[in-house]
Amino acid sequence: MGFPYESASWDVVDGAMFVGAGGAAPGLYTFVAAVICVVVLWKGNKSEHDCYAKVEK
Amino acid sequence: MEEQLAELAAKLAVVESKSNVTNTMFAETFYYVTIPLMILIHVGFLAYEMGASRTKNVLTSGVKNILAFAFVIPTFYFFGWWVYWGFPTGLTFSEGPAGISGAAYANAIAWGWGESAQYMGPNIVDQASGVFFGAFALFAATTASIMSGAVIERIQTVGFVILAVILGSFAWVVAAAWGWHADGWLVTQFGVHDFGAAGLVHAVAGFFALGVLIVLGPRIGKFNADGTANHIAGHNMPLTVIGLMLIIVGFWGFLMACVIVPGEAWSWFGDKPSTIYGTPITLSALSFNILMAIAGGIIGAWIWTKDPFWMMSGALAGIISCASGLDIYYPALAFIVAFSAGLILRPCADWLERRGIDDAVGAVTVHGTIGLYGVVMLGVFASGFPALQGVAGEAPTISFSGQVVGAVVFGLLGFVPGYISAFILNQLGMLRTPEAAEILGLDPTKVPAQGYPEGIPASLQPAE
Repeated sequence: MGFPYESASWDVVDGAMFVGAGGAAPGLYTFVAAVICVVVLWKGNKSEHDCYAKVEK
Repeated sequence: MEEQLAELAAKLAVVESKSNVTNTMFAETFYYVTIPLMILIHVGFLAYEMGASRTKNVLTSGVKNILAFAFVIPTFYFFGWWVYWGFPTGLTFSEGPAGISGAAYANAIAWGWGESAQYMGPNIVDQASGVFFGAFALFAATTASIMSGAVIERIQTVGFVILAVILGSFAWVVAAAWGWHADGWLVTQFGVHDFGAAGLVHAVAGFFALGVLIVLGPRIGKFNADGTANHIAGHNMPLTVIGLMLIIVGFWGFLMACVIVPGEAWSWFGDKPSTIYGTPITLSALSFNILMAIAGGIIGAWIWTKDPFWMMSGALAGIISCASGLDIYYPALAFIVAFSAGLILRPCADWLERRGIDDAVGAVTVHGTIGLYGVVMLGVFASGFPALQGVAGEAPTISFSGQVVGAVVFGLLGFVPGYISAFILNQLGMLRTPEAAEILGLDPTKVPAQGYPEGIPASLQPAE
């Protein structure tokens, strides 16, 4: 993490300017975001079916 | 003299540099502004669907619509954007004639990791990728919103979100890659021309919804034993009508985002706007034709129905029926085509209902049927117009048969994944809400909030 250039100045930036640029971080962040979406849908489906089960009793 | 020339050259370089900045900022701002305008389409669909629901389901309809937006955006980032750039030449994923497609190209610019990540986030020398991504992501969210209204009051929330992701981050994107990209095979081989995405957004979404509706089934109480249909009134028609008008506002942003502005390295022209196909267009053309299309659609729908819901649906249908050719229609012709779409709207919706399809908001008709109608109408009126930028005799031209091929492909790209996905979800028990929940109401079943905690009381007497 941290500014990916030797010199702490925007003058040396000539392309990507985000946190973690140039390394494995973007891929890791993307993977985590995707996992979050899948987990939320899975948990959401579970809680939705719990609600239906209550009504059907 | 030499000193004066050197001074002039230096001043010219400064002017050129400032002009380049202006060009770049104009282009970036142009697409940026389309994004909030297209979010207004969501505002509209949100109001539309909630108004069309009964009070016992109103917030569930809202949650569904909001979640569709929330999940389509990241999934379009994860893989949808890659599909648009990777698929144009078909399932070979090879590079197309314009050199801006295929797996290798898409791998270089559209993944959120590796070398590609520099184009998928803040980049000091890239003032185009993000706003293009944003405009396309809002198109994706629009397709999910179109499907959302048709399936209200009996679909499971998570099952619906999965369908929204399949439609918004895959199905319509394949249609766009094939029919709304300079390398798309529908364009290069059949001259398919669909400037305003009537086929690849509206028809795909409408027919996807039809595929889902066939598996989902109608709401309880919609059809009688003899097959006749009952009208299930929404609880707030004024909210629905205002929602439809907001969609019309957002549509201007949508159609604006279909234009490629001039003057940038990636522009088709240095001095005039173009369609995605590199054929010329102006915002003036859009202004003439969109306004006449809205008016024609409302007037056509009013004649048979006198109903404000159908009149505003007619406005939408008017735009959709002309969207394919908003770049080249004469305004009076746009009015006529839109008027015809308004006329056939209600009969088409009734036809579908007589076949046992419960489309709560008419989405299949307004977007699916009229979307294909619009694609084919361009073939009737604009045969021979160049469909793509190129040399005369080499560039494909618009034709009736080509537009029909496009219409069939768009319809299938919507219907087939919609039906199959819904079928699978149904087998997994993730599609339809249980009967007890549907009868009680979905809000009391699964939403921890009330839409109208005080009910909807009659007005008190006004002050004297």
